Amino acid sequence: MKSKQYSLKVLEVEVEDEQETIAFFEKNYILFQNHLISLKGKVTDNLLKLLKSKKLSYIVDTNLPKAKVTKVEQKEEHEKLRNSLVVIDKIIRSGQEIVIDGDLLLLNRVNSGAVIRVSGNLIISRIVEGSIYCNGEFMMLVASPKANIIFNGVEVDNSYLKDKLNRIELKNNEIIITPVIKKEINWA
Amino acid sequence: MGIVIAVISGKGGVGKTTAAANIGLGIAMNGKKCVVVDFDIGQRNLDMILGLENRVVYDIVQVMDKEVNIKQALIKSKSHDKFYFLAASQTKDKTVLNSKKVKELVDSLKEEFDFVILDSPAGIESGYEHTIEFADAAVVVVNPEVSSIRDADRAIGILDSKSQKVKDGGEVEKYLIINRIEPNMVKRGEMLNSKDILDILNINLLGKVPEDKAVIDASNQGKPIILDKSSKAGQAYFRIASRISGNSIEMVDVESETDGIFKKLTGIFK
Repeated sequence: MKSKQYSLKVLEVEVEDEQETIAFFEKNYILFQNHLISLKGKVTDNLLKLLKSKKLSYIVDTNLPKAKVTKVEQKEEHEKLRNSLVVIDKIIRSGQEIVIDGDLLLLNRVNSGAVIRVSGNLIISRIVEGSIYCNGEFMMLVASPKANIIFNGVEVDNSYLKDKLNRIELKNNEIIITPVIKKEINWA
Repeated sequence: MGIVIAVISGKGGVGKTTAAANIGLGIAMNGKKCVVVDFDIGQRNLDMILGLENRVVYDIVQVMDKEVNIKQALIKSKSHDKFYFLAASQTKDKTVLNSKKVKELVDSLKEEFDFVILDSPAGIESGYEHTIEFADAAVVVVNPEVSSIRDADRAIGILDSKSQKVKDGGEVEKYLIINRIEPNMVKRGEMLNSKDILDILNINLLGKVPEDKAVIDASNQGKPIILDKSSKAGQAYFRIASRISGNSIEMVDVESETDGIFKKLTGIFK
């Protein structure tokens, strides 16, 4: 007996609408030439015919071990997160406006007269003296008595930002501020 | 090839023109050939501060429009033979400037002088943009007060996006002068201290100049304060000009110098 072990990529398809699935494979079949397509749901002859004509390998209604699948999902999510995070390490000066569609990690100051607009979450590790508009789920800010902070359309009273790093969240239309780091960390 | 330095501030009235005049003269006193160009078209002041008011015949606009030769328009200072001045036009306005003309002028001055100091107009309009366009470095003048700092911050932001050097992928060097420091007020915490200012603007410190009443009189008389060796501001400007000329001069902490009652008393008993 000769045997060989190898991993291959599986595309799992739950067919709901025949036409939609056919259209998808008509368009994308090249991408799955080296995949094994695992079909479930309303598998029809027309669909199988198409897969055959495109020389794609497939199996129908087979239970495959799940471990691999979850791993792929995790990776995809991770990549999505990373792609939407913007990291800036530049001083934002008066008159400059930074508009980010996604999350922002800002490692420098926001000076008086500068504006930051973020559709996602926002972390700023140094003092803010300008304006911040954040529509994400949370913000992390250092104590910034001069800042103008608008979080999901609500003005944040910055007198509550007392600590070295504060987490600001919106829960049930209420702004919740929790200290993350109370004081300057002394590494020595 | 000379070095082109723009003197900028954003806000008006912080001592930009005074700084340009004194730095220019100070550089000449350090043995380098230097010219100061007034870029504040329509509101020229530098001629008065240098005491060269009645010597202005031709101005920068006439040079740019090639009506006169640059040598005809350059005015040699009374105080130093390596120090020259090019006046702004008082009758025109900023709209006469364009990039091509400015570049030609700056290039021809660079060939002639070791240092070309451009005195920028206040604000961030086209006159300012043309001043910084072909500068190698900028000297930012601020007063220790929040409005001056914010305007300077804005001016630096524009410098970092609109100068030719930045467009070519380089970076314009930026140096800070903190002008009109009142040591007693800083001590009492009523005035921003230099550490905070440097933190906000994030550029290198070139020097600190203390508040000095003698500056006003010096300007009115057309004798830059740097010529007055006993004045604190004059000494500060000389140190700054020496640093620009390439000498390593230690920073003097003008903030801790005070004319407190004890100092005055010890003066009496000397």
